[in-house]
Amino acid sequence: MLSFENAPPFSAPLRFFLTAPLFAVLAGLLLVIEGPVVFASRWTPGALAATHLLTVGFMLQVMLGALIQVLPVVAGADLPRPLALARAVHVGLTGGGLLLVGGFWFGLPWALAGGALLLGLTVFLFLIVMWRALLGVPSTSPSIRGIKFALLGLAVVVGLGLLMALALAEGWPLPLPLLADLHAGWGLAGWAGVLLAAMAYVVVPMFQLTPGYPARPSWWFPLAILAALLVWSIGVVFDLPWLVRASQLAAAVAGITFAGLTLRLQGKRRRAKADATYRYWQMGMMASILALLMLGIAAVWPAASELDGWTIGFGILIVAGGFLSFIVGMLYKIVPFLAWMHLQNYGATKATAPAMPRLMPDVEVNRQMQAYGVALVLLLAAVVFPDWLGRLAGLAFALANGGLAWVLFRAVGRYRQAWLDMTLKLAIKKK
Amino acid sequence: MSHPKTPHVVDARYMEPPGPFVETMEMLDTLKDGEKMLLLLFREPHPLYKVLRQNGHDYETELLPDGTFEILITR
Repeated sequence: MLSFENAPPFSAPLRFFLTAPLFAVLAGLLLVIEGPVVFASRWTPGALAATHLLTVGFMLQVMLGALIQVLPVVAGADLPRPLALARAVHVGLTGGGLLLVGGFWFGLPWALAGGALLLGLTVFLFLIVMWRALLGVPSTSPSIRGIKFALLGLAVVVGLGLLMALALAEGWPLPLPLLADLHAGWGLAGWAGVLLAAMAYVVVPMFQLTPGYPARPSWWFPLAILAALLVWSIGVVFDLPWLVRASQLAAAVAGITFAGLTLRLQGKRRRAKADATYRYWQMGMMASILALLMLGIAAVWPAASELDGWTIGFGILIVAGGFLSFIVGMLYKIVPFLAWMHLQNYGATKATAPAMPRLMPDVEVNRQMQAYGVALVLLLAAVVFPDWLGRLAGLAFALANGGLAWVLFRAVGRYRQAWLDMTLKLAIKKK
Repeated sequence: MSHPKTPHVVDARYMEPPGPFVETMEMLDTLKDGEKMLLLLFREPHPLYKVLRQNGHDYETELLPDGTFEILITR
């Protein structure tokens, strides 16, 4: 379904989509500079910085930008001034993300606190606008309910992050390792996981021509994840490790069920050709299922998480293997579609827009996907052989994400060229 | 394709955008005032809802267990 008249301008979401890969390039370069030490522990400055380059710099960028674009289409809720909101959120996220990462990497308390405050303020602004737009919108579909729940998850993950960043900067006595796990849980499951599911309900059948997600599980998945996270939080507050582990196991089972269901739907798709979006999603599902199995194993057998490389391996699988793959897979549909839609709208019946594959050719997309696959394998191998492969994996990751930036910028270049060509055609027709 | 609710059905469940929108608007054009048509989709078509409201058409939506949204539109 298209929404010509209510669609935000292309530049509103595009600024997020073009910035995100640059953060991932930085994460790769960080690995090249820091080398094997990043793989030694999740608490090293480099590992904390790299994690937030990907979660805040890449994931949060694209997710907020995409929400600004899709809220009218998926939830029927119009945002009053989408371009102004996009500008403010983009500046806050980019500046706040860079400050936060700089604070972690170079051990600068002022940057850590400043970055977290700027990010907190930005997300708070975003949440207020979303809340006002969704106020009075009934949850008539699992997607709308999922978006509302995900926004709740976003509020908690950012609140916890802000608290921890200030505690680190000011030296407050807080149980940081426990809170960090909870922060990651709310971020990856409560925010990113639930939002991914809410979007998947719409985009998997639409882009991959699969059957729809069955109503009942799609309705309950966001609630199951949020309930597990609430129980996890209670376990942390009342110091009940068994409750924390039980809720982690529940979240892992819910996540694996969702991923398994998505794989089953993809198996029934009616699009014969396996395009990059499909392959990226397959890669994402495999990596996520492995990561969630690790989470489940560690919940049952906590000593597993003490094994060398366990937590770093989990992080690479779920973030670089899972979420980034899903997001890039979606970008390869969304960006050419939006470009085509805006051109089509501009030309109306008088000038024809170029077809989507001409705006973003398959050959470029497939090459980038192969580079990303190689980088992911190298990253996982570097967990086992950090001395040999740490820097090489970083270089491969930087190159693969540089490739993503290149594909996206080229598509925007072709879009601008097509706009100029159509302007000429329209001018000639007027004469 | 026919359906107990109406003989006029657009099954857009395996259709790429903008197919569902275009076919629905085309079918609406062929109906007489007061006649109903059914659109089947795996998502809620909010942009279409907006156009339907603007054009004064009523619609009712039902979510089926298999994830199909049945949208019954009155011309």
